[in-house]
Amino acid sequence: MIQKTDKERLADFEARIGNGEKIEPGDWMPEQYRKNLIRMIGQHAHSEIVGQLPEGKWIPYAPGFRRKLTLIAKVQDEAGHGQLLYRAAETLGKSREEMIDELLAGKAKYANVFNYPTPTWADVGIIGWLVDTSAVINQTMLAQSSYGPYARAMKRICYEESFHIKQGYDAVAVLAKGTPGQRQMVQDAINRWWYPTLMMSGPPDKLSEHTSLAMKWRIKTKSNEQVRQEFVDHIVPQIRALGLDVPDKECQFDETSGHYKYTQPDWEELKRVINGDGPCNKERLDIRRKAHEEGRWVREALAAKSISKSTGKVLA
Amino acid sequence: MDTQWETYEVFHQSKRGDPHEHVGSVHAPDPQMALQLARDQFARRMKCVSLWVVRTRDITATDYQDESFFAQVVDKGYRDPKAFEAPDKLEHS
Amino acid sequence: MTHLIPTGVSSETLEKFILSLADDELILGHRDSEWTGYAPILEEDIAFSNIAQDEIGHSLVWLTLYQELTGVDPDSLVFRRPWKDFTCCRFVEYPKGDFGYTVLRQYLFDIAEQVRLESLLKSSFEPFVQIAQRLMKEESYHRLHAETLLERLGNATPESSRRMQAAADLAFPQSLGIFETMASENELIAGGVFKGNPGLEDDWLRIVRPSLAAVDLKVPVVSDDGMLKVTCAPENGGRAGRHTDHLRTLVDDLQKVYGLAPEAKW
Repeated sequence: MIQKTDKERLADFEARIGNGEKIEPGDWMPEQYRKNLIRMIGQHAHSEIVGQLPEGKWIPYAPGFRRKLTLIAKVQDEAGHGQLLYRAAETLGKSREEMIDELLAGKAKYANVFNYPTPTWADVGIIGWLVDTSAVINQTMLAQSSYGPYARAMKRICYEESFHIKQGYDAVAVLAKGTPGQRQMVQDAINRWWYPTLMMSGPPDKLSEHTSLAMKWRIKTKSNEQVRQEFVDHIVPQIRALGLDVPDKECQFDETSGHYKYTQPDWEELKRVINGDGPCNKERLDIRRKAHEEGRWVREALAAKSISKSTGKVLA
Repeated sequence: MDTQWETYEVFHQSKRGDPHEHVGSVHAPDPQMALQLARDQFARRMKCVSLWVVRTRDITATDYQDESFFAQVVDKGYRDPKAFEAPDKLEHS
Repeated sequence: MTHLIPTGVSSETLEKFILSLADDELILGHRDSEWTGYAPILEEDIAFSNIAQDEIGHSLVWLTLYQELTGVDPDSLVFRRPWKDFTCCRFVEYPKGDFGYTVLRQYLFDIAEQVRLESLLKSSFEPFVQIAQRLMKEESYHRLHAETLLERLGNATPESSRRMQAAADLAFPQSLGIFETMASENELIAGGVFKGNPGLEDDWLRIVRPSLAAVDLKVPVVSDDGMLKVTCAPENGGRAGRHTDHLRTLVDDLQKVYGLAPEAKW
């Protein structure tokens, strides 16, 4: 093997990215790139598994066979996405066990939107439709990520998310066209979820080194504001077509720009909630911590005794 | 200290005749469990007729940083069908 | 759709039988789904969610047949029926407990379902034969999954042994309620619809006792002259509508949202 300097390696690395090629595990990469990705992918994985809870809570109450089966499948997919993402992060050198320990110790971040409560059945449909639409717009962009394992995981995830959006929309549409009580329930849910969903795309980008590096290394290819605008333009007409509305009087289509105007969410609220002061932060982590603790004996037992079915021999 | 199981790479065959495709990996305590966990994670939607799991550590792989392993210096264009002329079809004479 | 009911069998008895199968699957599936988001390992979260969907799906298969016989649709039947009118065994009503209890319950139930479906493969009632053929495929995977976990948890560590034995002590008497003899069951046996609960229980004991013993789990069953005899009292009552309070809470939850507007579409 020809030995190269780090400067040469960085040049190769950036050329590869410039060509639209992927970086694979085992390729040389700047420490900043590795750290950035571990943080980003880890947060994404944590979001999936914490995100199981707000909707999973409604499985026992789902009204009807179809809704019940669909919801179980959806929450199952979220576990599956978590699994795929943790694996992608692991290829960068951090173990899943370590990442989960950090999450449960309150040291890791996850999508802020999952710190909000789901007090009604309608919230489930709204999450499936609004939150997942916003996620998909972001994730479709992330599927172009320069990091191979992440791009591959995202492709699979986007495919499954497309089901979730349709299922969410269906659940919402039925309520929107239903009894006055059902319509009110779903409008209330939109009113509560609108701004938290807008916040998902992240605060307006400052020209920080963080963002510009992320763009240069194709970890991210669109700005937060671009993603947010795309979401609003896409979803508002659909919401209004159902006879529902968003809690923002400024949200009107502007002929000149060809986009919807909208009010920015309260970014101070985001800061508070993401730093632990949200309605469900503690509760959700407590639940996951408890589940993790209560499952410890299972993990230990499975590690202690492995069996080869073909030889019948105890291996470990 | 909790347990971090080793990983198994998963290969999925959609139908007979297709190649097995690498679809991801699972953490598992042993091969039998790996197969079942792979089935639930990677075959719950897509049609699947065969699943392989292989311990990640059993895979012998090339090093991305050693491009010379695949290097071609001498032009081996003679391996490409386009390098030779041959008529497509002969008229009966 | 009309089905040819075997001679000597009343449609009422047949319908009750189908409903008990459907109720078992639904309630167990509901309990299984309580692990979604809470399982000890991410991969098992995914696996158990599959099992939950399968069980609830099986309930729907039975209820679809029930609808063909009675005209009552599955959603109405499940989301409006008073909890006392459910005919599941008490075993499936209990909360999910620790993972050990869930695994053991799933195992005992899956074997029971297997012997029951095997019996239905030879049923004089044609729809049972077809349904059994369909469900057996998924059930064989459930059995594999449950056995895999049972083998690995049963006697792996002192803690897992302790917990699994505690689960067995709790679950075994409860599980006998799966085989509670139904009123007018004799009609079904005489009519060739199925083997009958005593026969099925025996088939089931012959499978579960050695499997549990293989991982050092003891159950109150003795061998007497080649015959297997249970030495504890079974927890019966479910088929006759005598349920635990757990079912009341479960059905309450199940029907809460639907009940907000029972005539509406959800």
